[in-house]
Amino acid sequence: MNTNIIKYPMALLLLLLAMGGTTTGCRKELLNALPENQLAEAVSFETPDRFVSLLNGIYAQCKQGNFLGSRYTVFTDVRGEEFLNETGNGVTGLQTWNHTVVESTNEVNNFWNAAYQTINSVNIYLDGAQANSRNLNNDALLKNYLGEARFIRALCYHNLVLLYCRPYLDGNGSNLGVPLRIKAERLAIDNDLARSTVAEVYNQILDDLNFAEANLPATPVSATIRAHKNAAIALKARVLLGMGRYGDVLTETNKLVPATAPFKAASGVAHELQASVKTVFTSYTTTESIFSFPFTTNNLPGTQNALGYYYNPAPRGNGEYSLNKAGIIGDSAAFAGNDDRRQFVLIHTNAKPYLNKFPAGPQSTDYAPILRYAEVLLNAAEAEARANGVNQRAVDLLNAVRTRSKGKAYAIADFADVNALTNAILKERRIEFLGEGLRNFDIMRLNNPFPAKSNVALIPSTSSTYIWPIPSGELQVNKLCERNP
Amino acid sequence: MNRIILTLCLLLLAVGATLAQRRISGVVTGSDGEPLIGATVLISGTNRGTATDINGKYTLDAPNEGGTIVVKYTGYASQEVVIGASNSIDIVLAEGAVLDEAVVVGYGTQQKRAITGTVATIKGTDMSQLPAQSFDQLLQGRAAGVNINIPNGVLNNPPVIRVRGINSINLSSIPLIVVDGVPTYTNQFSQNSAANNPLSSIDPNDIESVEVLKDAAASAIYGSRASAGVMLITTKRGKSGKTNVSYNAWASWTEATRVPEVLGAQDYVTIKNEAAANAKLSGPQYFLDSINGKMIDTRWADYIYQTGFSHNHNLSLNGGSDNTTYYLSLGYTNQEGMIIGNTFDRLNARLNFDHKVSKRIKVGGNVSYGQLNNSAPNTGSLEGQSFATAGIGRLAFVLAPVVDPYRYDSEGNRLPGTAGYNVANNALGVGKNKQATGFLNPMPVVDLNRHRSGGSQVQASAYGQLEIIKGLNYRLQYGIDNLNGENETFWHPFHGDGVSSNGRASNIYVKNNRWNLQNTLDFSRTFADDHNVSVLLGHEEQGTTTQGWGATRTSIADPFFSTYQGNFTTIDPTGNFQSENYLLSYFGRFNYGFANRFFLTANLRQDQYSAFSPGNQKGIFWGVSGGISLSEMGFWQNNSFLSKINYFKVRGSYGTVGNNAIGDFQSQYLYDSGLYGAAPTFVWTQAGNTDLSWETSKKTDVGFVFGLKNDRIQGEYTYFENLIDGLILFAPQSPSRGIPGNTIPINVGSMVNKGHEIGLDVVAVQSGKFTWKTRANITFMTNEVTELYNDSDILATTSGLETTNITREEYAVGSIYAVPTVGVNPDNGRRMFVKKDGTVVQYDHAGGATRWTRVDNGAAISAPSLVADGVVQGSALPKWFGGWDNKFTYDNFDLNIQVNYAGGNVIYNGSKAGLRDQRFWNNHLDVLDRWTEDNKDGSIPRVVFGDNISNGSAFAISENVEKGDFLRIRNITLGYKFSKIAGTSTSLRVYGNVTNAFLFTKYSGTDPEVSSNGNVNRAPGVDRNTVPMSRTYLVGINLNF
Repeated sequence: MNTNIIKYPMALLLLLLAMGGTTTGCRKELLNALPENQLAEAVSFETPDRFVSLLNGIYAQCKQGNFLGSRYTVFTDVRGEEFLNETGNGVTGLQTWNHTVVESTNEVNNFWNAAYQTINSVNIYLDGAQANSRNLNNDALLKNYLGEARFIRALCYHNLVLLYCRPYLDGNGSNLGVPLRIKAERLAIDNDLARSTVAEVYNQILDDLNFAEANLPATPVSATIRAHKNAAIALKARVLLGMGRYGDVLTETNKLVPATAPFKAASGVAHELQASVKTVFTSYTTTESIFSFPFTTNNLPGTQNALGYYYNPAPRGNGEYSLNKAGIIGDSAAFAGNDDRRQFVLIHTNAKPYLNKFPAGPQSTDYAPILRYAEVLLNAAEAEARANGVNQRAVDLLNAVRTRSKGKAYAIADFADVNALTNAILKERRIEFLGEGLRNFDIMRLNNPFPAKSNVALIPSTSSTYIWPIPSGELQVNKLCERNP
Repeated sequence: MNRIILTLCLLLLAVGATLAQRRISGVVTGSDGEPLIGATVLISGTNRGTATDINGKYTLDAPNEGGTIVVKYTGYASQEVVIGASNSIDIVLAEGAVLDEAVVVGYGTQQKRAITGTVATIKGTDMSQLPAQSFDQLLQGRAAGVNINIPNGVLNNPPVIRVRGINSINLSSIPLIVVDGVPTYTNQFSQNSAANNPLSSIDPNDIESVEVLKDAAASAIYGSRASAGVMLITTKRGKSGKTNVSYNAWASWTEATRVPEVLGAQDYVTIKNEAAANAKLSGPQYFLDSINGKMIDTRWADYIYQTGFSHNHNLSLNGGSDNTTYYLSLGYTNQEGMIIGNTFDRLNARLNFDHKVSKRIKVGGNVSYGQLNNSAPNTGSLEGQSFATAGIGRLAFVLAPVVDPYRYDSEGNRLPGTAGYNVANNALGVGKNKQATGFLNPMPVVDLNRHRSGGSQVQASAYGQLEIIKGLNYRLQYGIDNLNGENETFWHPFHGDGVSSNGRASNIYVKNNRWNLQNTLDFSRTFADDHNVSVLLGHEEQGTTTQGWGATRTSIADPFFSTYQGNFTTIDPTGNFQSENYLLSYFGRFNYGFANRFFLTANLRQDQYSAFSPGNQKGIFWGVSGGISLSEMGFWQNNSFLSKINYFKVRGSYGTVGNNAIGDFQSQYLYDSGLYGAAPTFVWTQAGNTDLSWETSKKTDVGFVFGLKNDRIQGEYTYFENLIDGLILFAPQSPSRGIPGNTIPINVGSMVNKGHEIGLDVVAVQSGKFTWKTRANITFMTNEVTELYNDSDILATTSGLETTNITREEYAVGSIYAVPTVGVNPDNGRRMFVKKDGTVVQYDHAGGATRWTRVDNGAAISAPSLVADGVVQGSALPKWFGGWDNKFTYDNFDLNIQVNYAGGNVIYNGSKAGLRDQRFWNNHLDVLDRWTEDNKDGSIPRVVFGDNISNGSAFAISENVEKGDFLRIRNITLGYKFSKIAGTSTSLRVYGNVTNAFLFTKYSGTDPEVSSNGNVNRAPGVDRNTVPMSRTYLVGINLNF
């Protein structure tokens, strides 16, 4: 056997393989691979559809679990006196509930981060959409989109300034606000930015909302879940209420509320109260819901992120918070036993009352309510009272919400003075919006103390724990950002 | 052949020798009792000598009086024996590293003598007999500079491997692991709670050796991937000759060690009711209870930990002809952990073969297949899972002892089905108590839920080699490494994590495919006798694609279903990802040696890597090293003192290597698509950086290697310094900027690791039947971060919730960070904290709006915070570590005691915060020493129900920082080798082993090696809610025939 016969073909083969190995030209494109399931920034505004997808992305960020999808709403509510913590779990708001958050506490950082990520998405959108407007080629749509983006930015800043800053009422907005970021942030620059004043932040919010009102469509692209003109007006009314500008609240609410009953919005979406308040929490896109964030079985809030998870006991939730019997549910005079809204109070097998307003769990597809016509009516009632004293329209507006749920109607004679009337309105808000994230707003905008509950003591408005600390994450990097005192 | 000629010559010489002689004879064997064939036996100081025959026998003429014989054998330490009265002298040689041994280096081998870089070799035989899931768990303490931590007792949890410390801040610090020339995958591969280390698909029995390349000279040939060191795994190959069959097997029993000691029912009720009274709750909240007359005093740990039984088998055949050799191996292991429901099994097969086609052509290859399954409950002990409410590590110590896990009928029988679990409102049932008793009942969670991470790995490669001219070899190798994983999670709707989704099954399939092509040209020749030159030129390409897909199904149609394939009402995509990368490289190496005295090596590699943007893809890496064997020089050999040191080489190296372990598309700005209700979205999810490039390590090594007493004592010393520049920092961005993740990657940081490595390898006793070989190493090193982006600290959390570590300039990466505490105020029992300005403040959980007050005047003050008041508590990285390995043999007995040690670091014992938490949580026995009016010097603050601040549950406090020094008797192995059955080559050894036999430490937590954050560089040294370490008892056999 001559091994050479084998040897030379083998050698040839090896050399051929080697040549194949070293001619890498055909594989060079592997060096420039692009991801197949993620979109590169450069092409993000390339088609009209992407303008919409990016806008929907802004909404999606705003409704993330760490923000208005649930936790912000729940956590700010449980700062008040209506709920008792049942699980002692630091992850689900224990420290918010018992007022022991510090600047490194998770929620203190998480809400801030989520709000600002949404804000920056808006800022990037405002830049990108205008720079690439030729790809959309529809000026009317572009204006609608920019209005939607600025509506969301206003919503974010408003929720930030409510929690991390002294109330507007305390010094007329002269206290420290939050850093006001209104430019697109992309590169590793501009970390340092001082806090604006509370008033400056409010001005920006109002500016955004005025722009939104002027540019948003009268009816939303998708009912309730996309911004529209009336949503901007309703939010503006809330913001102005928090600033104590009651006359301006009336100006705004009058755009949505006629002078006398029946109360129904005359332009845009025909907002009105539904016959039963329960409807609002099972049919999410009625005309009462001005703006809400949607959840579906394919788009769930995620682990520990659903309203129903916090308030409903197992199996529909985790019963993180029960209702405080010493809270509004204990007030049988204002909140009578036959009131329809009592149906939201569920007495569990452990004899504790729980809030059953978000009943869809365990797959929590309840929408997260943000703005509801009932709030517009009560905002109008309160502004009417505070601006004009005890008056029939204020009482009518209050009664509209109250009697819808079989609450006993008030007569004007029931109110000795304007305080009695505003107190009744505030109490009505506690009943009507229980678990909808307005309690913190209602306490803080008036500089009222957080009442005591269970073994948690009263927190006066002078306390350093009255407002939240600026998050550690911000303080660590933003050298111009001041701590709260 | 040479040896035979030598033997003949020696025999001729012997015949002509003088008459004043006698004839001595004997047998030379290795310490394993095997005869050594061809060992040289010389009369010291003469030319007279012989070589042993096929039975290890020698016969030699020796002087009538006095004289010494010297016995030498490659791979063994040589031995001198004084010739006594007896004419029969049997000699047992101990294995030892010798200078002619070939050591595996990158893309080839090198003679140990000529190596000027820093390479440590760990023999496979050191590892194959011990209980483990993967070989990397067995490398502890075996090589200087290599520190391995087993994070906890969860089966197949990837160990933390550090070669000369942490060499990056954000990228991987796991060394590049190369298996038979093809780089493989490392780190946690699981997508759920069952740990899955991809290295576990390799059977430790198949490993011949592990080489660790530590300095630039040794590792620069791996260029951009070598920053954290390189480990070369060489599997066993066939040896020509008769077929050798080996069967190695062991069986073991494993149990939990150092389980935290918590209060029994009586003490629990006392403490919690005292806390309730202090919190002004009305009346007692917890009560003793009984079931059918028997007091409930549940020791939860007894339900959660078990004695797990494991067995392991490996059958291998190895042999071949002159032209073809093979190694064939089959393995099976089935292991139970110390945690209920924690199992690991693996089935593996390997064929390695080499064939000489002709004088100049050689071909061969390896095929290895491993199939494995990991199952575990949620242990809360893997990275990112520390605070899982179902985490069984925490449940074992946190649940109230006053309730039973089960429910019973009046006869005392457990109620059938799910009614038999004591649960209420998706929590542990509270029984008579007025407050919660636990997050979850672990029993239904373990019984009904399932986490499995299984998969398979194929590692295969083929090579062809052609000798073009003498000394010039061309080699082509093509390899693949395909790692596939299946991750199955099922959460039952009855209790725990599955409740909120009404039952949930999630399957994720992950597929990693890699191909690797190498062309090398190797030239090696000796010129003019003394000039040894070798040159290597190479080209390598590697492509890797990673894909994952899966879905989560929720709302179970019927509790009958327990798999993803069953029926559920909704389905959502989950675990979808898709990625790829490509590396194109050219490299070369030049070695020059002169007369075994001077050595020089230079390496150069150019890499191009796809993860960087065009323009930044190319990087050049290099290393040079040199060594001088002073002991080969005349002045040394002629000096009576120096010549006692028979071998002495000084060496040094310098070079740069890189780290490219970033995300495949990290340089790009990317948008992800999701849903808003029913509408599709795009959201910006990744901030990129088109300027992103390698991290560069500049490595310097100097040291020496020596041998004494004919290499019976060998040692080495190395000083090393690794300056890492251009560290990719995820530079913190003000959260108010709204950048995704609040970071942007920038090459901006610097860090330095420096230290000393000392290794000693001694044949301490070699006397007749008794030998003692001892090997020790110790490394002293420090890490210092020298530059960060804008001088900004980088804080790191444990599982995203608790900030425990800080990376700050002038400190070690990931140092422990906490608010200082100064004990308990004896006046009122409150924990005292120190604010940054020195103000001592105290906390009273029952204090309402004035919970925080100054200690000096009682005035209200704001709460301290970690960012404002935190202080660096110390480095979490050991400043010294090493191992000490002792092998004793006596007659047929062998005993191995392996010790490892580390220290100089601190640990954040976060579990301690949990063990002292004053919510419903059960407490450590030390809480009995709480402050009361009658115990004013109590070490634990006055207990107040609900208090989550005083003991560190809300933010890290220095009270929970402890020293991590320890010494562990890692292994004790005792073996007995039976004498050979006459006329056969059958040998049998039986042995027993205890792994993690003893631990000496002042650390009060579960184990000082703990790592709750797995391999994360920025958060090492944290002990948070993990299960403890295990201890294992093992019996095994080694059978050869």
